[in-house]
Amino acid sequence: MSGLPLGRAPLVMLALFVFSATMILRRPAPPARQIEFWTFAQTHYDEYQARKAEFEKRHPGVTVRLQLMQGSILRDKLVAAFLSETAAPDLVEVEIGDVGRFFQGRPSDIGFADLTDRLQSEGWIQKMIAARFVPWSNRGRIYGVPHDLHPVVLFYRHDLFTKAGIDLPKEVETWEDFLKVMNRPGVLDSRRDGRRDRYGIMLAAHDATHFRPLLVQRGGDYFDAQGRVTFDSPLGVDTLAFLRDLIKQDHVVFRQPINWGPDMYGPMKEDRLLCAFTPDWFVGLIKKNAPELAGKWRGMPLPAWERGGRRTTTHGGTMIGLTRQAEQPDLAWELLKFYYFDRDALVTRYATTRIIPPLRAAWSGPVFSEPDPYTGGQRLGRLFVSLADDVPPVHQNKFYAEANTLLGPAVYAVFNQGADPARELKRVADELRRKQAKDRFAR
Amino acid sequence: MTVERALEAVPSRRGPGPTQGPRLAPYLFISPFYLLFLTFVALPLVHSIWFSLHDTIGLKSRVFVGLDNYVSLAQDPLFHRGLWNSVYFSLGTLFLQLPLALALAIALNSPRLRLKTFFRFAFFSPVLVAGVFIAIIFSLVFNHEYGLLNHILASFGIPTAGLRWLQDDRLVMPAIILTGVWRWTGFNMVYFLAGLQSIRQELYEAAAIDGAGSWQQFLHVTLPGLRPMLVFVLVMSLMGSLQLFDLPYILLTGAGPNNSGLTAVMYLYQQGFQFGRLGYAAAIGWTLFAIVFVISMLQIRFLGKPVED
Repeated sequence: MSGLPLGRAPLVMLALFVFSATMILRRPAPPARQIEFWTFAQTHYDEYQARKAEFEKRHPGVTVRLQLMQGSILRDKLVAAFLSETAAPDLVEVEIGDVGRFFQGRPSDIGFADLTDRLQSEGWIQKMIAARFVPWSNRGRIYGVPHDLHPVVLFYRHDLFTKAGIDLPKEVETWEDFLKVMNRPGVLDSRRDGRRDRYGIMLAAHDATHFRPLLVQRGGDYFDAQGRVTFDSPLGVDTLAFLRDLIKQDHVVFRQPINWGPDMYGPMKEDRLLCAFTPDWFVGLIKKNAPELAGKWRGMPLPAWERGGRRTTTHGGTMIGLTRQAEQPDLAWELLKFYYFDRDALVTRYATTRIIPPLRAAWSGPVFSEPDPYTGGQRLGRLFVSLADDVPPVHQNKFYAEANTLLGPAVYAVFNQGADPARELKRVADELRRKQAKDRFAR
Repeated sequence: MTVERALEAVPSRRGPGPTQGPRLAPYLFISPFYLLFLTFVALPLVHSIWFSLHDTIGLKSRVFVGLDNYVSLAQDPLFHRGLWNSVYFSLGTLFLQLPLALALAIALNSPRLRLKTFFRFAFFSPVLVAGVFIAIIFSLVFNHEYGLLNHILASFGIPTAGLRWLQDDRLVMPAIILTGVWRWTGFNMVYFLAGLQSIRQELYEAAAIDGAGSWQQFLHVTLPGLRPMLVFVLVMSLMGSLQLFDLPYILLTGAGPNNSGLTAVMYLYQQGFQFGRLGYAAAIGWTLFAIVFVISMLQIRFLGKPVED
């Protein structure tokens, strides 16, 4: 060793280098025909994982590589992949709150492949609820296929209302009816002594979580189809004022915990929460977190804003997109169809997650008509499906995330600090309009 | 024989090494670090300065705007809000977390205390808890109706009806500071403990002979002996506090009610990753760097260097 000019260390480093390099070179190369698919939802991942062998069997030599990651991590990785024009997956699921981010800049900047022609030529748009393509469309082109419909119903405690002598579906058609029932003696004060010990409904009082779905139910939205800001319309002001009045009334609203933590099921389990604003995806969460309430809940159409009005809205959503970096887009498109358009797959999806797919053909599956023991044998699937055609469109665009972020404090001020709904909404709307006016990449 | 030849004839310490031409080997050995540093640190930093002078929307569209982003930032109330919240948290660190860490370190350094190793690990262990668990634990601790904190306060007769820790914009920062105290006090305690153990025992004995009581020993022996470590912990804690991001983000799943949990770094993240304004986000990053740099320099200037010369 004394003959080595720099001692023993370089030899050790060289040995490590040779060893590492050998290991790297010996790694099996990825299959030539591999489709990489990223998702952020465990339930989606489990469903796709269970069925991928079937796809690989139908397409010999093809490997499906599924990756599950947390929602914001997926978004950030996808942004980086699109920005660097490398390492993007072939297929990816994106949550509705994040998608506007990917529609920024010029159309040529969008990292997703334009699916409009494929969807039109194969007739898929007509087979699905057209409104669900709206969030995933930009400047007239469709960049994603909807995973879900997410209609909203009102869950109510059948046992408690029955005990109070109230048949809620019969007595409530509108939100005004709902409020009247809540203020009836014996409903929120279980001992009929005027001291309220129950809550009417769980809603967010700290941000705009429920403002948008309720505004959308009335035909409004944050933006119109052209991307113009619309939430400061009289409809928006009236909706926010109504929500404020609900929250201000004693015990009508249980303030939803800020991070949707397990503590929000406490009042339910203690029979202190009478109703829940329930999108299809929330059914599974309630069942999982409050199994002891089986048989006590029922679902009914959401109260309308006026008699004869729309009895549902939509809350949340996910799309699947095919990226421009996909090396074998046709094969990836086949996988997309296998997971999103296969009737049997969608029936299984409903059976495991209670999520209503936007493909009409799937709804005739017997599972959608099965009595659900959790809702006392009520055919919950049929209730959701009966509302499917009324699900209103929502307009996502590149300013959505900013709108939601700016609206949060404004809505908080209205609910909690006595701020005027019209003034707050106009202030935020004007700020957004200023930002839109400064947008150099609007077209 | 010339002097040069004579020198060449002298064998090097490790034997007859290469003596002609430049010695490349050392540079080759250190080159991986510098290549990685240049590629993944230096170049992105320079690029981010260039980025901060652009208006960027989307992934690839950008326009040079000079110092516009910095001018907008100076007038941006949300950035000011984020900065104030970061400073608020820093003050909590300064006046609550660090004194508590010092007190714990002194207590655990006491020769009379038993089960020291257990207590040291117990106080240090919150650092090992993943963020997502902290979010779950503390959303339960701060729950308005079922939370441990309100339960304890109520047991002391304090009315808790209005104490919605994570839903009231006035209470969110105190809640985050309390969570920070739980998470990082033990970590700073370890530094202080190391500092305390480096103070020579003879100094205390000499002070005791001179008639100094416990308080005087603390003032005249412990604190001066801890000074380099105090400055180090102070500088590092304030730098960390001003860069606060993950704690409010996981606890509030965002900026919280009325942006009460929005910090400067969270605002950077919002602008860059949620809104797609990478240029503006870069300007926030460099402004924050300047602020942290100046504060750290002032600390070192007025409190001394973190290590003894």
